[in-house]
Amino acid sequence: MKRYRLKQFFQDFYLVLVILFLYAPIVTMIVLSFNDTKSRTLWGGFTLRWYADMLQDTAIMNALHNTLLIALLSALAATVIGTAAAIGINSMKKLPRSIVMGVNNIPMLNSDIVTGISLMLAFIAFGISLGFKTVLIAHITFNVPYVLLSVLPKLRQTSRYTYEAALDLGAGPLQAFFKVVFPDILPGVLSGFLMAFTMSLDDFIITHFTRGAGIDTLSTLIYSEVRRGINPSMYALSAIIFLTVLALLILTNFSPEEKKGKTAAGIEAAARKRRRFARIRGGILAAASFSIFAVVSLSTWNRYAASHSDELYVYNWGEYIDESVITQFEEETGIHVTYDLFETNEEMYPVIEAGAVRYDAVCPSDYMIQRMAENGLLAEINFDNLPNLKHIDPVYLEMSREFDPENRYSVPYTWGTVGILYNTKLIEEKNLPVPRRWSDLWNPAYAGEILMQDSVRDAFMVALKSLGYSMNTEDMRELTEARDLLIAQKPLVQAYVIDQVRDKMIGGEAALGVIYSGEMLYLQEEVASQNLDFTLEYVIPEEGTNLWIDSWVIPANARNKENAEKWIDFLCRPDIALKNFEYITYATPNRAAKALLDESLQNNKAIFPDMESLAQSEVYRYLGDETDAVYNSLWKEVKSR
Amino acid sequence: MKNHFRQLLAGPYIVWMIGFTVIPLLLIVFYGLTDKSGAFTLANVTSIATPEHMKALGLSLGLSLISTAICLLIAYPLAMILRRRGIGHSSFMVFIFILPMWMNFLLRTLAWQTLLEKNGVINGILGFLHLPELAVINTPAAIVLGMVYNFLPFMILPVYNVLEKIDDNTVNAARDLGAGELQTLLYVWFPLSVPGIISGITMVFVPALTTFVISNLLGGSKILLIGNVIEQEFTKGSNWNLGSGLSLVLMLFILLSMALIAKYDKDGEGTAL
Amino acid sequence: MSQPFIDLQHISKSFDGTLVLDDLCLSVKENSFVTLLGPSGCGKTTTLRIIGGFETPDAGRVIFDGEDITRLPPNKRQLNTVFQKYALFPHMSIADNIAFGLRIRRKPKSYIDDKIRYALRLVNLEGFEHRTVDSLSGGQQQRIAIARAIVNEPRVLLLDEPLGALDLKLRQDMQYELIRLKNELGITFIYVTHDQEEALTMSDTIVVMNQGYIQQMGTPEQIYNEPENAFVADFIGESNILDGLMIRDELVEIAGARFACVDKGFGTNRPVDVVIRPEDIDLVKPEEGTLTGVVTHLIFKGVHYEMEVTTPDGFEWLVHSTDLSPVGERVGIRVDPFDIQIMNKPASEDEEAVGVNE
Repeated sequence: MKRYRLKQFFQDFYLVLVILFLYAPIVTMIVLSFNDTKSRTLWGGFTLRWYADMLQDTAIMNALHNTLLIALLSALAATVIGTAAAIGINSMKKLPRSIVMGVNNIPMLNSDIVTGISLMLAFIAFGISLGFKTVLIAHITFNVPYVLLSVLPKLRQTSRYTYEAALDLGAGPLQAFFKVVFPDILPGVLSGFLMAFTMSLDDFIITHFTRGAGIDTLSTLIYSEVRRGINPSMYALSAIIFLTVLALLILTNFSPEEKKGKTAAGIEAAARKRRRFARIRGGILAAASFSIFAVVSLSTWNRYAASHSDELYVYNWGEYIDESVITQFEEETGIHVTYDLFETNEEMYPVIEAGAVRYDAVCPSDYMIQRMAENGLLAEINFDNLPNLKHIDPVYLEMSREFDPENRYSVPYTWGTVGILYNTKLIEEKNLPVPRRWSDLWNPAYAGEILMQDSVRDAFMVALKSLGYSMNTEDMRELTEARDLLIAQKPLVQAYVIDQVRDKMIGGEAALGVIYSGEMLYLQEEVASQNLDFTLEYVIPEEGTNLWIDSWVIPANARNKENAEKWIDFLCRPDIALKNFEYITYATPNRAAKALLDESLQNNKAIFPDMESLAQSEVYRYLGDETDAVYNSLWKEVKSR
Repeated sequence: MKNHFRQLLAGPYIVWMIGFTVIPLLLIVFYGLTDKSGAFTLANVTSIATPEHMKALGLSLGLSLISTAICLLIAYPLAMILRRRGIGHSSFMVFIFILPMWMNFLLRTLAWQTLLEKNGVINGILGFLHLPELAVINTPAAIVLGMVYNFLPFMILPVYNVLEKIDDNTVNAARDLGAGELQTLLYVWFPLSVPGIISGITMVFVPALTTFVISNLLGGSKILLIGNVIEQEFTKGSNWNLGSGLSLVLMLFILLSMALIAKYDKDGEGTAL
Repeated sequence: MSQPFIDLQHISKSFDGTLVLDDLCLSVKENSFVTLLGPSGCGKTTTLRIIGGFETPDAGRVIFDGEDITRLPPNKRQLNTVFQKYALFPHMSIADNIAFGLRIRRKPKSYIDDKIRYALRLVNLEGFEHRTVDSLSGGQQQRIAIARAIVNEPRVLLLDEPLGALDLKLRQDMQYELIRLKNELGITFIYVTHDQEEALTMSDTIVVMNQGYIQQMGTPEQIYNEPENAFVADFIGESNILDGLMIRDELVEIAGARFACVDKGFGTNRPVDVVIRPEDIDLVKPEEGTLTGVVTHLIFKGVHYEMEVTTPDGFEWLVHSTDLSPVGERVGIRVDPFDIQIMNKPASEDEEAVGVNE
């Protein structure tokens, strides 16, 4: 007996251990969602502000709306298509049935990434532009197999004879189906629907590849948010999702304990109870789906009731505009803006090239503008429509000639440098030298404290500059040298990041980060406002750096070119440029806006460096697709090392 | 006559499948076997042999195999315990172990990022206890952890389902014939649960092999898996042909596991959630 | 003869290229209890499903009370079926199951309630209205299936191996129950089974089928005592089927010995099949027998002993007798002339199957 109890104990212990493993992360997130500081380790008191933030965040609310709408529609469609198909398949002969089932299994067994890519290729081949409907089609495609899988076994269990018995007793075929077969397979149909619904809610990868302009589901939103840095609103969202799922699943999965009464009365009572509960559960389910449906259709109505003839599709970097500017533009012009984000130039390019989404205004960087222009992807801007262009300092138009030789395609939006941001306290604590040069990033003393940029050109720029080469080199010898240098640096690097660099620097995760100059001001303010015990300083390395300009362009396949010009002109207005500068803190080429700034800001050399100090610096040039491919494959060698 | 009408009901789905399952796959094959100008080439597929792709594929295979093994090691005893505890209350217990599966996949991964970061929760607790800090984030170990955490329920469920179906009397018979605990496990429980194990393995292995999210979020983009390579070819590198070619190679592994499922799990029970 | 109530005319049916019924003709009189008997795969269930309307024959016609119903869907036919595994609707209560057909026909509620009570009383399950299907035993489910069918007042009740899933005791009880029901309802029963005992007990008429053909049709006594071919003889009860030579009318030679019989018209010196039931063989002293042999096997069967007697030509005779002859004893074999059944030898497998149909 003692041995038995010991065994029992070990088993319980094991169960508890696994439960801990499974739930610790979730509980942590729920706890953090009530934490008043952004820190993961400091408890700053109880707050509900992240929940309030979340509810006010239009991006999250829109994503939630999309997610629910897509899940509901795709699950409904999949249930109808799948149930019909199951009935058809069930009456097929063996060979056609196994062929259909074989194809049916593909989306389930295939990996999501292949399914997502294949659907994306197909949509582009069929000429369906990526957007809400492509996501919906993709979701239906991967949902139907789950419906089939849960309906078919029920159909097979259903005795063929009950259907025939109903016919025999005088029911017509349809009557027999709905009175006898359907109630019998209903549990399968319902669980198929629920499974489809949850699969659709949960999907990220397939949505990632098939979504288009302005369509974010919760998953894709979370992905871009997480890559940008952890926002406690995400914890609040997790908590809400978890509790909703928990409640729904408990409701749908558990009936009251069935007593196994032996007496006829007992059996009868149990049966009645079960039926009553089934009815209650059905009611709740119906109510839940109805309310989801109601909420979704109401918000859809709200959204599209105000129909707009004038459209503008904007494709911009994340966190690269003051959102009130968009609203103001919409109000002043009556043009409805669909606003979409990209993270890197390289990510943006194929989207424009494929025309999967037809944007009207895009904000790429210098070398990418050159590449787009050379490949005929850009439309010439009609500068007559840009009266506010006069506010742009001609210096920057001159600089733009590097990549847009005749100033035909682009209007400068922001400019800046790339440099090293360092955490003064960490440097001091660890007794490290203050970085001055790119080559300092190879100092073993910084091991594990370095954040590099996760983009080809920036990473190679750092290596090439530290070697004293041009960052636009096409010399294979110089490039391989740079590659080897980057590989040698890899053990010292904590992570390759893009937008996350901000969050990690504020969180004190690393001592050094390669960063765009514009981020510096935002980060310093954030550190100050959070009362953190360190400061962040920015340095432009002595070897010279990348001088970059992000400019607005209009793709050749834009549908609303005049609206795009109105948009660009609007952004050149001094008051708007100022608003944007205050929000994104990247240097503005708008001299009228700069004149409105504080004296101290105007003279901040980190933001507005003297042109003389940039003598060593260069602007990226587009090096041609072949050289690009060389860069890409060298970078892949670095990353895979 | 009636049958023909019923078979027609499968029509819409068959059309749908041709449009959105078969043709898209054929497109991958087409892209994978042509270059940018549309001429036939095997270069995209053979480029898997380049060192960086081999490295990524090898790492993917390695990490996903390790994760699968760990999942099995955790899930099997768990499923066994649940099975032996009987049916009544265990249905809620089973539910407890599967619940995290319904939580958004990205949020689950985000949770681990929160826990593992240098200034994350675990290190906070360790620091509070004056214990040495863990440096797991941005290493292969973090990726394995993320995979195990995300895919563990996919292993528990099929294994439990199959164990659940084993008749008590089969086990009793083995005991009756003199088999000890270990022998019963080896000669009765284990062989009878092979279909569940196989479908569990494929359900963990395939998504682990092809993931790019976990490696991105928990690997700090320092660790390139084959999924990352393919994703980047489509979203950043803009070489769809190469991406498709590598996908074809990936599909080879998926086909292998499909064949494995077809061989062992004839009723498709394991895949049914 | 009066016009047949149900008349199957030249019915053929095949599934996936396999011929299941070949030019089958069958007439059923009103108010009879007809049993289709045969081994599995003989086409008896298909015949029943064609009558029920669940299958459409490839050729031939189904005439019901003078009307051609070949292409009439099942829900329009005035007959009901009791299915092999009952096919009760699991999501409905017993009352709902029984009321199903009546509700489809939009009968008034009071009528339906009366009918449910009447039907439950008829099958001895009063008070089961609100039970669920899965709380009933197999026998009870069977009765409900019957009740569900008969409340619709069908003119014919089709029963597809309804007792197949029950245990022996219950099966025997249900046989009496069915006979009683048949007498009370006064409607036609068409019954499918592979159990010869069931067929012999209940039917007015037995139709023995094999390989899609009717082998013999007749009263239970005719089928048992005068099988028309070796298949029927072998399938119905146990029998010794021997090679014989018809010497002349009323005299047949078996294993070198001559037996008197009552059959005529087979010609002279013609090889024939001879059927002798084991209980019709008398074991006598060797000198009194037409033939002698040695007892080689002995089993006590309760009502009688079952023995095997091997004759010098090597044939093992199966003998049922209440008198015991121990193993090794030398015995004589004697058979009364009217217990010997003479049949033509089939020229081929096909002819054997066609049998009496011609």
